[in-house]
Formats: sequence, C-alpha cells, structure tokens
Amino acid sequence: MDSIIKINVEREGHRSLLKESYHNAPYKLTHYGSPRAQDHLEMIIMSASPGILDKDSLVIDVHVKENAHLKLFTQSFNKLHPMKEGASQETNVRLDKDSVFNYVPHPVTPFKDSIFKTVNTIHVNDDATLIWGDIISAGRIHRNEVFAFQKLHSITRIYKDGKLLVTDNQCLLPREQPVSDMLFFEGYTHQATLFYCGPFAKLMKDEMDEILTMEYEDVSFGFTECANNTLLLRAVGTDGELLYSFLTMLAQMCWVFTHDQLAVKAEEAMKLEAETAQRDVASTDLEDTPKRTEPKGITSKTVDTKTAGKKKTVSKGKKAIKKDTERKTSKKAV
Amino acid sequence: MNPLLTLLQINDSVFPIGSFTHSYGLETYIHKGIVHDSKSTEAYAEKMLRYNFFYNDAAFFHETWKICEKKALKQKLIELDSFITSLKSPYEIREASKKLAIRFLKVVESFQSVRRCKTYLEAIQAGEAHGHYPMAFAMYAHAQNITLEDGLSAFYYNSLNGIVTNCAKLVPISQMDGQKILFKLQPLIKELVNKQADMDPDMIGNCCVVQDIRCMQHEKLYTRIYIS
Repeated sequence: MDSIIKINVEREGHRSLLKESYHNAPYKLTHYGSPRAQDHLEMIIMSASPGILDKDSLVIDVHVKENAHLKLFTQSFNKLHPMKEGASQETNVRLDKDSVFNYVPHPVTPFKDSIFKTVNTIHVNDDATLIWGDIISAGRIHRNEVFAFQKLHSITRIYKDGKLLVTDNQCLLPREQPVSDMLFFEGYTHQATLFYCGPFAKLMKDEMDEILTMEYEDVSFGFTECANNTLLLRAVGTDGELLYSFLTMLAQMCWVFTHDQLAVKAEEAMKLEAETAQRDVASTDLEDTPKRTEPKGITSKTVDTKTAGKKKTVSKGKKAIKKDTERKTSKKAV
Repeated sequence: MNPLLTLLQINDSVFPIGSFTHSYGLETYIHKGIVHDSKSTEAYAEKMLRYNFFYNDAAFFHETWKICEKKALKQKLIELDSFITSLKSPYEIREASKKLAIRFLKVVESFQSVRRCKTYLEAIQAGEAHGHYPMAFAMYAHAQNITLEDGLSAFYYNSLNGIVTNCAKLVPISQMDGQKILFKLQPLIKELVNKQADMDPDMIGNCCVVQDIRCMQHEKLYTRIYIS
C-alpha cells in the first residue's frame, strides 16, 4: 500500500499551528494530547495496520516554517513483517529559519525475512534546529528472531543551506555480514542514532562532555561533533525500551537546551532593543522633542519585566535537565 | 620515474605524513580488551578491510581514480571531498584524513609538482575542500602511472600494515605474528581489489555502527597514545 503523511507547521503569534496536513490509510495524524497545552505543536503518527507489510511504501513530508516548533511522536514499535520484495519509507524534512523539529520514533523491529529501505532527506536552514533519532533492533528477540531479517538499509542525509553536511549510511545484511560480531553489534541487539543539528549544537556538546562522563552497564555509547554545529550520538544496547527512553531523554535535553538558548537570545535581542530605544529617548530629549518619550519609556519597562521572568525560567530549565540526567543515569552506572 | 619505486616510497610506513600516530578506533578496542591477542588482531584486521575499508577509504580511492581517468575537474573533486566529509562522522577520523592528506600532498609536491594535487592542496588550504587522504593518495598514484590494481592493493596493504603495527605495539602481539597476518590476508586484499569496481554505489560509506562508536569513545579515553 502506498501511503503519504504531510505535515506543515506555521507560527502564529506565540503558538505553532498545524496547517495543510494530509494522511491516508492506514495512517492517521493527530494531536498528541491537548493542542493548547503548550506553545509548540505536538503531533503523533498513528497506524491502524499491524505494521509494515511487503511492498508497502510510506512518504512522510514535514515542513516546519519560520519560527515554528514541532515535536513529532510515533505510536508504537515499527514492525516490519516478513517480505519477499521489500518495503520502503521516504522522509523529507524542511526546516525554515529559527524552526525547531524533534523526532525520535519508536524502534524499528524487523521480523524474519523482512526487507526495508528508508531514506531520510533533511534540509535545515542555518538557524534551524533538528533533533532526530532512530533505533533499530535485531528483531523479535524473544521469538528467536535475532538478525533473521534479510536487509535493513537506512540512509540519512542532512543538508544545511543546500550543502551536504552529514550522510549516515547503514546497511545490515545478516546473511552476508557477521552482524553480531566485532565492528557491527558486538553482542548487542539494538542500536540508536541521535543527531542534534543547529546553532547551539557546539554548546550542547560542551554540556554533554560534562554530563555523559560515565560508562553504563546496559548501554554503550559515543558522541562526536560529526560536522560543524552538528552533534551525533550513537548507542547500542540489549533492551529496546531502555534505549528508547535513553534516546528520548537525550532528545528532550536537546529540546530544553534549545529553548533555553532561544530564550537567552530573545532576551539579549530585547535588551538591545530596549537600550536602543532608551538611547533614542535620550537623544530626542536633548533635541527637546518630548512627544515620543512616554511610549518609548513604557516599552522599555515592559521589556525589563519580561526579561526578568525569562531569566528565571532559563536557570530552572538547565538545573532540571542536569538533575533529571543524573537521576536517570545513576541507577545504571557501573 | 619508476612507478613501482614511487609506489613503494609513498606507501612506506615511514613516509613522513604521520600515519603512525593514528589508530582509527583500534586503541579503544585494545583498551576495552576486545582486541587482546594475535587471533583477535587478525579477526579485527580482516573485518576492518572487508566491512569498513572496502566501503569507505578504498571506495573513496576508487571514486577519485575514476575522476582522474576522465578530466579530473576541480569541481568533481571538491564534490567528492564534501561527500567524504559528510560520511566521516567521528571527529578524530575526519581530522586524521585531513591531516594525512595535507602532509602527503606537501611531501609529494616537493618531489615533482602534479597539477591536480597542487590544486587540491590549495583548495584545502583555502577552505574550499576539507582534505582526504584516500583522494590525495589516489590522485598522486594515478599521475605516477601506477596501475589501479597496484595502487589500490598497496592502499589496502598500507591500512592493514597500520593495524598490525599498532597491535604489535599496543596489545602487544609478536612481530612474527604480525607478519604472518600481513601475509595471510593477501588473498583478501586481492579479492576486495577485484570486487571494488562492482561495489553497489548505494553502499558507499556504509558504516559499522559499533566501530563508529569506538572511534567516538576514543575522544574520551583516559590514556591515549594515538590521535585517533
């Protein structure tokens, strides 16, 4: 079955809203919880099908427009059923200026004999932020279907302002490659990838260098600056749920960090604006033209109250992330 | 110049480009005790050539060679360079490729200037290109009338030799065992060289996930002898 999901997000006032969306069977696109619960948009892709079947093809188009923020969720593990010819998925993402997009779908579980190819093409504006994850499992482990699939090929290309920035090419062919051995999964059964690409990725890398210093029993991971202002984290583990929470926790950390930094940026811009306004007032005073003094003075006052409020949120956010990470990771520390 | 002697010279492990300072993630494997004796060294070397090198550096060498067989347009070379940069995710691996490329191009430039090598070096220095060792090696080897088969075989051998030498120092394994591995894996190099042209283009840059993680973990190793 050929399916399409289209998502367009626009910013209106302080809120991000869904515009011109489309989906067909067996997929359904709906709000994740109450649409008014937060300023950013949260959508979930649901499916009435038991999974992806032979010859299925799915195209997902996401366009997050200027200043809009989107979190996209999936409903459950993406099950790939036994196949003869194979199924495919194509995801095209476009992120405009100052937009933020977070997508960490549930793990892909390839059943015996499944064949799947997924190609992700992501165009990111220089000021936009991408938080992108994916998890692949070895199969239905408790049914003795470890690496029993035929082929799993995933290609992700990230372009920044039209220039190819990152290519991630992973092709697993368990019948030709020793996929459980050294270099491949090395005894683990799940692998995860997380990209964080955007203007604050370098700063986030510094944070991660401080936070992710321990080694864990259940998860082995590494992270690096895989391109300019792009962070890549890869992890392997033996539990899909655990790896999914690990990845969503890190993605949430990136999401909060991005919003903190955006708040700081907005605060600085407002400060600058207020200072310019005050300078203007001073110069107009000197010129002895009192007409514009009052409204300008009011503006700068409003700005001050707003920025004071934002500052509080920022510091709270950062502390909360660190605490959360420490709490979650301390349990599994070696 | 004699192509064979030139190949021996540029492929020598003491050719002064600093290749002995890189382990490409192997140091993490040894640190974690996964590569710990001659047997595991051989397994590591064999898998690296077959599943990593074949789809990555050797494939990049081959792609460069194909460009050189035509007109070797600067634009084509820069496009390939950007593509390779996008594929080399671990920071240290990307930087290793750049450092080796620059040094290699500088050394060969001092022998006898090759126009395309000089153009590539200038593009790297001007920030137009990142710089990748397999490209630099292939460009110069091609200009020296070395055959593709010899050039690519030597390039595989060079990497294998790097693995074995690093293991002899770090694991450590005996020099005798190291030499045996080098000799034993000759048929594998031949097989991979023969298959290189038929590689599925969709597979170029295929990544072995945990090997990639080990390269990233190297950035955080407590004691490090190698740069990558």
